[in-house]
Amino acid sequence: MNKTLKISFALKNTYRVNGILFSLKQIPLLKKILPSTLYQVKGLKTFANVLSVIWEMVSMFLGKFLYFLTMVCGIGILYEKLPDNQAFLHILLFLTIIGSFSNTNIFNPTKDKYYAMFLLRMDAREYTLVNYLYAMLKLVIGFLPFTILFGKSMGTPLWLCVLLPFCIAGMKLFVASVSLWDYERRGSGFNENKLSKYVWGWIALLLGVAYGLPAFGLALPEKMTAGIFLLCIPLGVLGMAKVLTFGDYRAINQELLSGLTSQMDFAAKEQIIKKANENKISTDTSISSNQNGFEYLNELFVKRHKKILWNSTKKISYVCMALVAGVLTMSFLKPEIKPTLNEMVMMWLPYFVFIMYAINRGTGFTQALFMNCDHSLLTYSFYKQPKFVLRLFQIRLREIMKINAVPAFIIGIGLALTLFATGGTDNPLHYIILIVSILCMSLFFSIHYLTVYYLLQPYNVGTELKSGTYRLVMTATYMVCFFMMQLRMQLEIFGIMTIVFCVLYSVIASILVYRFAPKTFKLRT
Amino acid sequence: MKRVMKFVIEHLSKKFEKREILRDVHFTFEEGKIYGLLGRNGAGKTTLFNCLNRDLKADGGRFYFDIDGVCREAKAEDIGYVLSTPTVPEFLTGREFLKFFMDINEKSIENPKSIDTYFDYMGIEAEDRDKLLKDYSHGMKNKMQMLINIIAKPNLLLLDEPLTSLDVVVAEEMKQLLRSLKQGRITIFSTHLMDLALDLCDEIVLLNHGELEVVEKTNLDSKEFKDKIIAALREEGHE
Repeated sequence: MNKTLKISFALKNTYRVNGILFSLKQIPLLKKILPSTLYQVKGLKTFANVLSVIWEMVSMFLGKFLYFLTMVCGIGILYEKLPDNQAFLHILLFLTIIGSFSNTNIFNPTKDKYYAMFLLRMDAREYTLVNYLYAMLKLVIGFLPFTILFGKSMGTPLWLCVLLPFCIAGMKLFVASVSLWDYERRGSGFNENKLSKYVWGWIALLLGVAYGLPAFGLALPEKMTAGIFLLCIPLGVLGMAKVLTFGDYRAINQELLSGLTSQMDFAAKEQIIKKANENKISTDTSISSNQNGFEYLNELFVKRHKKILWNSTKKISYVCMALVAGVLTMSFLKPEIKPTLNEMVMMWLPYFVFIMYAINRGTGFTQALFMNCDHSLLTYSFYKQPKFVLRLFQIRLREIMKINAVPAFIIGIGLALTLFATGGTDNPLHYIILIVSILCMSLFFSIHYLTVYYLLQPYNVGTELKSGTYRLVMTATYMVCFFMMQLRMQLEIFGIMTIVFCVLYSVIASILVYRFAPKTFKLRT
Repeated sequence: MKRVMKFVIEHLSKKFEKREILRDVHFTFEEGKIYGLLGRNGAGKTTLFNCLNRDLKADGGRFYFDIDGVCREAKAEDIGYVLSTPTVPEFLTGREFLKFFMDINEKSIENPKSIDTYFDYMGIEAEDRDKLLKDYSHGMKNKMQMLINIIAKPNLLLLDEPLTSLDVVVAEEMKQLLRSLKQGRITIFSTHLMDLALDLCDEIVLLNHGELEVVEKTNLDSKEFKDKIIAALREEGHE
C-alpha cells in the first residue's frame, strides 16, 4: 500500500515536472536558451520538483481557504437578515451536497489514473483506493483549519467546527458508494466531467437553494443543518465499507478513462478538432458564387460559414439594439437617471474597448479560416505566392471589417442617441466622435486579429497552436482591453485618441503585412 | 532543341537545436527522372522536402534550377508538393476547388482543359464532383491533391509517401499517372517501401548522415541491389 502511494506520487510528480518544463519551453525567448536536453538537467528537475511539492501543499489548503473566503462566507455576508451561523451552515451544506457528486475524485477522469492503471498496468483496485483515501485525508486536513477559523468567526460551536471536515468527507464517501452500487445495478458508471442535463439541473436547483433562499431570509434551521451534517459521519462509515469492498475498479476506470484515451491519442484528438470544424461548414447545396478567383474562394467561404460569422454577428446586433431600446425607454420612464446616463456616455468610452473586444468575431473568423481553409491550402505552393497572400489578405480584411462593423455601428448610434436623449451635449462634434470612435475600435480589432494571424500563423499541419508569441499577444490584447474597463476619460479626449491610434495602427499593420506576411504566412513545422 | 533542366541543391544544411538533420546536401537532379528518396525513420526526408518547399528556413546552402545552363531561383510555382495525408479545403466541392485553382493560375496553365476532362482523367466519378471535399474518401482527396499539383505542371514534384495509405487500385492508378508525368519535370518520391521505390523510380537516392548519395545499380539484379541499399542504410544506423 505504501509502495502504491509512493509510485503514484512519483508518477504524478514526474508528469507535473515534465509539464512545467514543457511550458517553460513554450515561452518565446526562453525556448531558445533552454536546450532540448532540458529534461535531463538535474537542477531544473529539482526546481520543478520543489514547485510540484509546493503545489501539493498549496492545493491542500489554498483551495479550501478561497472556497470559504468567497463562496461560503463571502457571499454569506450579503445576507443580513439571517444569523451568521445559520447562513454559514446552510450555504456550506448545500455546496457540500453539490460537491459530493460533482467533485468526487474517484469518478474524475485524470491523466495520472490513465498512466498508472493502463499504461503501467498497476493494480486498479489498490491504486484507486490508495489515492482515494489519500484524497479524503487531504480533504479533512485541508478543511480543518478553515472550518475552525471561519466557523468560529460565524459563531459555530467549536466541536461542530472540528467535526465538519469529517462530515464533508462522510458525505463524499456515501455518495461515492451509492454511485458504485448504482454501477453494479446498471452496469454503467458515473463521470463527474460528463454530467447529464438532469444533473446540471440539480446543481442549478441546489445552488438556488444555497444562495437564493437566504436572500429571502430563509434558511434551514441550525439544528437541522447540524443534524444532517452529523448524520453524514455514520453514512460515511457505511460508504467506506462499500468503497473498500467494491471489486470492479478496473472496469469502472476503463469506462471512465475511455474518453481520455482518445484525447491523449494525438491523431484521434486531431480528428476530433477537425470534425468539429468541418461541422461548421454549411451543407446547403444551393450555395454558389458567380465571382472569380480569390473573390470566389472568399464568397464561398463566407456563405458556407454563415452560421459562425454572420448569424452570430446578427444575434449580437439584435441584443445591442434591444439594449439601446431598453436604455432609451428607461430614461423616458425614469427621467431622474438621465444625468447619470449622460455622464456615463461622456466618461465611459474606454469601457467600450472591452465590449468591442468581447463581441468582435476575429478569433472565430481566423480560426475557421485556418481550420477549414488555410490548413489545407497552405500545403499548395501556388497559394503561398506573395501576390496571392496579399490579395487574399485584403479580401479577408474587408470581410471581417464588414462583419464587425454592424454591431459597432448599432452601438455607436445607440450611444449617440442615448447622449441626445439624456440631455445632449454642448458640442455636436461629440455625436460624431462617439460613432466614429466605436467604428474605429471595431476596425482596430478586425485588423488586429487578421494581422496577428498573418504575421504569426500559429498553427501547424496538425492544427495544433504552436506559437507562444501568439498566445502572449492574445493575452496582452485581453489585458489591455481589461485595463480599459477601469479607465474613465472625457469623451473627446479618449475618442480622438482612439481614432488616431486606429489610423496609425492600420497603417503600421498594413506595412508589416505587406513586408512580412508572404514570408510568415505558412504552416508551422 | 530540347531544353535540359536540372535541379541543383548546394550545401543545404538544417539544424534543430544541436541536432544536424541536413548536414551538407549536395545533389543534382535531372529532368525526366523519378528519384526514389530512401532513408531511415528520422533521417530528415520530410525536413528536406519542407526546406525545398520553403516551409522551413534552411540554415545554409541554396537550391536552384539550371535550365540550359542558365541558373534561376526556385519559385513557389515551380514546386508541387504532395503530402502523405492529403489536405484539401473542406468547404469547397471538388469542382469549385478546381475552378478556383484554374482561375488564379489562368496565365500559367498551358492548354487548359475543361474541369470535367480533368476529373475524367483522374477517374473521379461524376456524382462526386459536386460533393463537398470534406465528404471525399481518403483516396479521392489524394487524387484531388495530385490533380491540383499536376495541372500547373510544376518543374519539381515532391511526393512524401504518397501511396502508402491508398488502396491497391488507386495506388496502381497513381503509379501509372506518375510514370506518365515524368517527362519534362523532376520527380522526387520519398517512401519506406523498397519494392515500390524499385518498381517506380529511375534512381535510388539515400539520405544518410544528412547527406544525399545515389546508389548505383550497375550490373546488379534486383535482389543484389536491394541488399546493397539495405546494407548502406544499416551502416548508418551503427555509426
